[in-house]
Amino acid sequence: MDGKNELLEQIRALDFALIDLNLFLDTHPSDENALKDFKMLAETRQKLHKQFTEKYGPLRMIQGATDDCWLWVNDPWPWDTMRWEELKGGMANVGLRQENRVPDKY
Amino acid sequence: MWVYDKKTEYPINIKRPDPRMAKLILTQYGGPNGELAASLRYLSQRYAMPNKESKAILTDIGTEELAHFEMVGAMVTQLVKDVPPQELERMGFGPVYAIHGKGVYPSDSNGVPFTAAYIESMSDPIANLNEDLAAEQKARATYEFLINMADDPDVIDPLRFLREREIVHYQRFGEALRIVYEAMRRKKMYYKPANVMGMAENKDMDNKMNIMPNPMDANPVSPINIHNIPGPIMPEVKPDKKK
Repeated sequence: MDGKNELLEQIRALDFALIDLNLFLDTHPSDENALKDFKMLAETRQKLHKQFTEKYGPLRMIQGATDDCWLWVNDPWPWDTMRWEELKGGMANVGLRQENRVPDKY
Repeated sequence: MWVYDKKTEYPINIKRPDPRMAKLILTQYGGPNGELAASLRYLSQRYAMPNKESKAILTDIGTEELAHFEMVGAMVTQLVKDVPPQELERMGFGPVYAIHGKGVYPSDSNGVPFTAAYIESMSDPIANLNEDLAAEQKARATYEFLINMADDPDVIDPLRFLREREIVHYQRFGEALRIVYEAMRRKKMYYKPANVMGMAENKDMDNKMNIMPNPMDANPVSPINIHNIPGPIMPEVKPDKKK
């Protein structure tokens, strides 16, 4: 769907790199190269995270609310493998702007 | 506390259900070498850790294991999704289905429920960290057995990812163990640093910290306890009143 999975994949890759650096830094707290990488990746992650949240809904509970909608509750959840018919009929479109909704035709 | 990310650590997207594999993978959910046991082990043991590095590594690896717990659960549920009961039974998932239906229950692949008897949590950091090293190797071996029995790339990919993570965790635990050992060795050096800076002496502080001249080494390498481990508790020496 219009780059959602691609963007999520990028965020996942960044988050994974950050997790791995996190563990490394725990036992090497003053490694300058790792610190530099961590700061750089954390910045990029922040940007992509914002981009994703604005377009496809929240990844964190704290970003879950709009003025009239609780977006956090929406499908899909991480373990869901939903077909487009299910997504259309489900909660996937609630509260999302028209241009970001699951299209009727796929 | 924890914050939830609404995504798995590694993508789980299984298109071909396989109840046989679901039953086998279940052991990494609630089995003896599974992710739940790992997470509970590290998150319980961290309270016994003596220095900042080991506290951090147990907290963060324990957290990552929770993410793996979610991944394994997602795999099990996707592997039985939309499979009719007859087919589940034929593929060996019958015993699980009879008890839990398609629910994901923390047990090993024989259906033995999860128990905290799989783990230990002691006040001895060396014993804890050595158990953690062994646990990571056992989990790594279990993932290899599972990969040997899998045939779908959608299943093998996440299993390989999880296997690799166990190796990284093993490495980090090894480093943590070394740091704790070094810190404990340092802890045995009781000495009073020479007052080279000419600073005002604080006898009160010396007494509180049980600092005494180092009997082994008159010129210690470093007076700084870099790992912030409190000194040993020394018996209180009462001054001899007769003299």
